[in-house]
Amino acid sequence: MLIFALGALFLSATVAVISYERSRTYLVNQRQTSLEQQTFTNARLVRNRLRAGEPDLAALLASLGPRTSSSHLLVRDGVWTGLAPETDPAIVPPALKQAVLAGRAGRQLFDAEGTPMLAVGVPIAENGSSYFAVYALRQLDSTLNVLGNSLILAAVITTLVGAAAGRWVSRRVLNPLADVSAAAAAVAGGSLDVRLEAGSDPDLSPVATSFNRMTDALQARIERDARFASAVSHELRSPLATLVASAEVVGARRDELSGPAREAADLLVDEIAHFRRLVEDLLEISRLEAGVADLAIEDVRVGEFLHQAVKATAGGPVPIHLSDGAATAVVRADKRRLERVVGNLILNAEHHAGGVAAVAVERHDGVVRIAVEDAGPGVPADERDQIFERFVRGRAARRWRPGGGSGLGLSLVSEHVRVHNGKVWVEDRAGGGARFVVELPVVQ
Amino acid sequence: MGARVLIVEDDEHVRTSLRLALEQEGNEIAEAGSAEEGLPAFQRQPSDVVLVDIMLPGADGFDLCRDLRRVSDVPILVLTARGDSHDVVAALEAGADDYVVKPAVPKELAARIRALLRRASRSPGGTGAGAAAPTRMAFGDLVIEPDSATVRRGGQAVALTRTEFRLLCELAESAGRVLSREALLERVWGYDYFGDSRLVDVHIRRLRRKVEDDASSPRWIVTVRGLGYKIEP
Repeated sequence: MLIFALGALFLSATVAVISYERSRTYLVNQRQTSLEQQTFTNARLVRNRLRAGEPDLAALLASLGPRTSSSHLLVRDGVWTGLAPETDPAIVPPALKQAVLAGRAGRQLFDAEGTPMLAVGVPIAENGSSYFAVYALRQLDSTLNVLGNSLILAAVITTLVGAAAGRWVSRRVLNPLADVSAAAAAVAGGSLDVRLEAGSDPDLSPVATSFNRMTDALQARIERDARFASAVSHELRSPLATLVASAEVVGARRDELSGPAREAADLLVDEIAHFRRLVEDLLEISRLEAGVADLAIEDVRVGEFLHQAVKATAGGPVPIHLSDGAATAVVRADKRRLERVVGNLILNAEHHAGGVAAVAVERHDGVVRIAVEDAGPGVPADERDQIFERFVRGRAARRWRPGGGSGLGLSLVSEHVRVHNGKVWVEDRAGGGARFVVELPVVQ
Repeated sequence: MGARVLIVEDDEHVRTSLRLALEQEGNEIAEAGSAEEGLPAFQRQPSDVVLVDIMLPGADGFDLCRDLRRVSDVPILVLTARGDSHDVVAALEAGADDYVVKPAVPKELAARIRALLRRASRSPGGTGAGAAAPTRMAFGDLVIEPDSATVRRGGQAVALTRTEFRLLCELAESAGRVLSREALLERVWGYDYFGDSRLVDVHIRRLRRKVEDDASSPRWIVTVRGLGYKIEP
C-alpha cells in the first residue's frame, strides 16, 4: 500500500509541479509582454504629446489610463514627475533606471514586499526624458495561487486514491500471497499441519486448494515413511535379538572351535556387533528426522554431565577445561541423547584423529559451547559441511575396523543437536587438528 | 551363584538364544511361549526374576505384569522395542521393575538381573561406612523393618515389590535429606549418571499410591523441585 501511495504521490507531484511551472512561466510572460506593449504604446503617446508641447506632465500621465495597481513616472533631466504626488521614484529598480537613462528600453521583474512587480522603462529621445511604468502583478499572483492550490489538492487526492488502490491490491492479492508463502515456509520447516483457507476469491482459491492438496499428500507420505521405519524397526528387532544373543554364546565358546570355524565365529561376532550398532543408529536417525522421537528433556548441569559423558566413552584420561560459568551452566536436554553427541565426537576423534586432546566448555551470552579437540589431521574446509552427512567419511579418515563407528556418528550428532535447538560445526584447532563445537542454549 | 529366570517370549528363536546366553552366565532358565503360559509357568516353578517381552501380541505383556503383581513381588524385567516410548512408562506402571531395549546384549541383561536381586538396604553410599542401618523406622503410622523386609501402615502389612521396598528404605534411612534421582538410580537400580530417571519417578508414584493417604498430595514422600525426593520426617 505504501508503494502505491508513494508512487501516486510522486507522479501527481511531478505532474503538478511541471504544470505549475509551465503555466506560471507562460502566464507571466504573457502578462509581461502585454504590459510591455501597453507601456510602449503609452510611451509613444507621451512622446507625441511632448512633441506637441504638452507642458502638464501630470495631466499627461493621467490621460494614459487607469492607475490602479500601476505607477507611471516621467523623468527629465533628473526631475521626476509622477502620476500621483505620492509616487516614489525609488520604486523603479536602479538597474532599469540606469539602463533606460542610458538610452535603452527595458523591463524588469522584481519583488516589493511579497508582491511581484513589473517595471518597464522607455527613453523618449526627442526630449531627453524617460518614461517608466511600474505594475503590480497581483492578479497574476492570485491566479497563480489558485492554480497552485488546485494542483496541490489534485496531488493529495491522487495520493489518497493511490493509497486506497494499494490497500485494495494488498488485501485482495498480496496478503493472500504472503499467506501462501508463509504457509509454504512453515511446511518446509516441518509443520505439516498447516493448511490455507480456500476463501471466495476466484483467482486465489485454486492456489489455496492446490496447496492444501499438496500438503495433504506430503503429510501422508511422511507418515507412511515413519510407519515404515517403525515397522522395519519392529521387524528387525527379533532377528537381531537372536543374532546378538547367539553371537555372545558362540563368542564365549570360540576356543572350542577348530581353525576355520573359529575365524568365522570371530567375524560373525564382530560383524553382528557392528550390525547392531548400525541398525540402532539408523533407527534413531529416522526417528529424529520423522519427528517421532520422544525426548526426555530435563535440566542438565553441564559440568557434571560432561565429566560423566567423557568418563563413559573415552578410552583414556581426557583433560576437561571448564570456563567460568560453564561448570554451573544448565541446559534443557535429553541426557542420554546428549551423551551420544559427546560420545560420538569422542569416538570420532579416537577413530580418525588418534584420540581426544581435550574437551573445553565455554559460556557466552545465552549459550554454552562444548568443544572436542584432537591433534589429528584436521578437517579440510571443503569437507566441513559434508562430514555431518550420513555415511560420509573425510579423505583423511581411516576405513572401518572392528570397534569403529557405523558411519552415522556425525549425522546423529547433527540431528541430536538440531532437536535440542543447538548448532554444531568443525573448525581448526589452534596448534593443529580439528575442533568440533556443539553450541546449546542455556537456561541459567 | 546365578538366578532362576523365567523368560516369557513368543519368538522361539529369541527365546532360545536368550536362554543359551543367560545359561552361559550361570542362570537357570524356564521358558514360556506366551502370556497365557506365563502365569501358570511362574506358579508351577517360582523364579527369582521374570523376563517379559512387552511386545507380546496385543496388551498381553502388560496384562501379564499386572497378573504377576497380584500374586507376587517377584522382580520383573521387561524387553521393550524403544527406550523412549510410552511403552516403558506403561510397563513400569503395570508393575515392572526395570527394562532393557531389544535387541538386548546378554551381558547387559545379566547385569540388570543381578542388580534386581541385590539385597536391600546394604547398598554402598548408604548411611555411612560401618554404620548399621536402623532395624525399625517409623513415620506416622508407617513402620518399616528392613531386616524382615516388612512395611506396615496402621498395623496392616503393605505389599511392596523388592524395588519399591529398597527405594523406600533408601529414602527412610536418609529421612529429612534430599536424594537426587541420580543417587536413587544408582543405589536402587545400580545405574550410573545416564540411567533413566523415569524409573525413579514411576516407582515413587507407585510407592505413594501404596503408603500415602493421598498420593497426589503426599505427606511423607515429598518431591523437592530441581533436586530430587525425600521423606519428610
